[in-house]
Amino acid sequence: MSGTRIVVAGLGGQGVLFTTRLLAEAALSLGHKALSSETHGMAQRGGSVVASLKIGEFSSALVLPGSAHLLLSLDRGEAARNLPFLGAGGHCLTATAQPWSTVLCAQAAQAGVGLHAVDAAGIAMDLGAPVLANIALLGALCALPFSPVPGPALERALRRRSPARLLEGNLAAYGAGQQAAGLMP
Amino acid sequence: MPDLRMLMGNEAVGLGLVQAGCRVATAYPGTPSSEVLPAVVRFTRELQRPVYSEWSVNERVAAETAIAAAWAGQRAACVMKQVGLNVASDPVMSAAYLGVRAGLVLVVADDPGPHSSQTEQDTRLFGLFAKIPVLDPSSPEEARQMAAAAFALSEERELPVILRLTTRISHGREGIAVQQPPLPRREPPPPSQRLLPHAPKRWAATPRYRHTLHVQLANKLDAIAAANRASPFNARSGPQRAVLGIVAAGHAYAVVRDLLELLGVGGQVALLKIGTPFPLPVQRVERFLECCDTTLILEDCDATIELQLPDRRRVRGRLDGTVPAAGELDPSAIKAVLGPLLSAADIQAHPIETLPTELLHQLPPPPVRPPTLCPGCGHRTAFYAMKRAFPKSTIFTGDIGCYTLGISLGAVDTVLAMGASVGMASGFYRAIHNAGRQDPVVGTIGDSTFLHAGISGLLNAVNVDSRFVLFILDNATTAMTGGQPTAATGVLADGSTGTRVSIRKLVEACGVGFVEQVDAKDVGAIIALARRALEYTRGDGGGPAVIIAQAPCVVATRGVPADEQVRVVVNERCNACGLCVSRFQCPALSIDTERQVAVLNRMLCIDCGDCIQACARKALVDECSLACHGEDKP
Repeated sequence: MSGTRIVVAGLGGQGVLFTTRLLAEAALSLGHKALSSETHGMAQRGGSVVASLKIGEFSSALVLPGSAHLLLSLDRGEAARNLPFLGAGGHCLTATAQPWSTVLCAQAAQAGVGLHAVDAAGIAMDLGAPVLANIALLGALCALPFSPVPGPALERALRRRSPARLLEGNLAAYGAGQQAAGLMP
Repeated sequence: MPDLRMLMGNEAVGLGLVQAGCRVATAYPGTPSSEVLPAVVRFTRELQRPVYSEWSVNERVAAETAIAAAWAGQRAACVMKQVGLNVASDPVMSAAYLGVRAGLVLVVADDPGPHSSQTEQDTRLFGLFAKIPVLDPSSPEEARQMAAAAFALSEERELPVILRLTTRISHGREGIAVQQPPLPRREPPPPSQRLLPHAPKRWAATPRYRHTLHVQLANKLDAIAAANRASPFNARSGPQRAVLGIVAAGHAYAVVRDLLELLGVGGQVALLKIGTPFPLPVQRVERFLECCDTTLILEDCDATIELQLPDRRRVRGRLDGTVPAAGELDPSAIKAVLGPLLSAADIQAHPIETLPTELLHQLPPPPVRPPTLCPGCGHRTAFYAMKRAFPKSTIFTGDIGCYTLGISLGAVDTVLAMGASVGMASGFYRAIHNAGRQDPVVGTIGDSTFLHAGISGLLNAVNVDSRFVLFILDNATTAMTGGQPTAATGVLADGSTGTRVSIRKLVEACGVGFVEQVDAKDVGAIIALARRALEYTRGDGGGPAVIIAQAPCVVATRGVPADEQVRVVVNERCNACGLCVSRFQCPALSIDTERQVAVLNRMLCIDCGDCIQACARKALVDECSLACHGEDKP
């Protein structure tokens, strides 16, 4: 594999752009090339936010439907909307309190795609900071075998990007996400 | 390893301008260009360079300011979106003839798609029309490099240069090194020398001299086209001879390069990247065409390269319908164009298959979410009041900004261009008058848009006595593009204090006889004022009426101040009529069809309390008023 193609989806205010940026900076810190694309202006007022990220020797950040290795979504509905981006062998990890049905997961596996879910919002809520769902989701991602960047690099990027007053909370959400991934089926 | 930062393309351009010794940078905000000027301000501080930056009142003023700075020997840049160049076109077209002394770079961002614009116009075609050279980057880092190259070219040939961006370059990010070896600086002239050398035949050329200047301009372009043959921004890859060749420019080049790799056909398709679309090094492209049986041309947004090729017999592109006439060249669009051409050339591509539809159909995606005004936005209450105040026969002219989103609230019938709400209100009034009717005409325009292009329409209306009501929705910022200050805000691009311009006094100075200010959140007051204004427009001795409805942008103020928050609750009077949802349209309000009651989504609600005014049954109430009422009971 010459590189990794990633789509990050969610709703306005959930931190899609920050999530994408942390993944990109983690890749950059390991000496990889990273390209990302995001949405601004009128297009941003819609609620749905999609960003794309390519790590490796690429020229454009845009991802062709049917070619993404990873779809990371902060919302279940937005995961469904953007599922056509996934290619064979790809994985979708979404934040949701309502996991995918086992039937659906089995069908997806047959099509060569892994569907995964973690209650990132619940984890963040337990920590008393619902806005940290995206960080918890990243924590879960880096503990899974299909993570595009290793956990330590992601954690370093998180530490670098976090203002001092938010660092403790961010690391707690990240750690709780990691733990939750260990309990995933 | 250098310290790399994930910079947005617009930030990379801002960095490139500062690194290249730009001294004056001007701009008017517009998606997708808005982040360039703030980046200039940031890197001016970080790299400690002497750059003056300003948000100008419109693109025309921004261009004139930058042109003058370049004439006075200081490198200057002017940043705008593609439709902004239409506004700036008068001075820009003339500047191509008169030329410049120090470098002048016009950074213009196009919006193929379009994602956030009225048109998909191609600024490279504008370059061809205006006879101004254009550089077209394919990545954020190349955009940074082209900023310096554009200054160098502008100075070498003494004419303005356009750096054309597109949405995906502007809003793409890439790891970029901020610290770069310093570029050579221009020596300032000795104090005895005038900053503008005395040369009226050039700086104030009359038509007689313009002909000479036009001849000189044509010669400059010929020289640039010849030099572009060896430009580092044009590059060839793939086989020397091929059945299929592709000439690609800008972001389309980046997309097709990845696509050829993904399809596993990179070794069989010849590829020519063009970073200098105008003037096109025609001979270089022709040499490439000779090496391929068929050549596909991929370029956003129009056929600028294709049109410059004298012989298009073996060329496929937009002109023969191979490439769609509209829309962005994203991976799907290019794949759709490329597929049949690869088959025809007998080139085997890896199949790219999306997930089986039976799997996707089990997951119905969420409803499409149309753009909407934010919860707590003062535009919503203003539109809601306007819709209630005026009869169904009213023609509502709208304008460019967040309030374009008033369409679904029923108080925007037209959106044409910046400032057009005012001029068109005049035109609709005239048509209604000609038809012998009395239908009201009501315009809406934002504060920044009024200052940009609304004033001249208003003074024209006063002069010819057009009768309409104009609402200036003043939220004290340029909201849609990210909250840049306006001339009425009193804050400058670098955060320092500027002299505030009074919108009310401007309106009065245009000669408007009815000018009132009102709280944009006060529905009752707006309705009363709107009816008075309508009476005024119909009376003898009346004229156009202006209502300035004020409420700060909730994004800029980060919600409602704690002491003004109102916690709304739904009481037992709610009969789920749904009028609050259909007519007021706050994203936080919905009807729970099972429980037959309106519900508030607390994740979205910002406790503005505006919706209380949207329920005639008084079912939406202030929680505090209930509690206080209870406590008051003996």
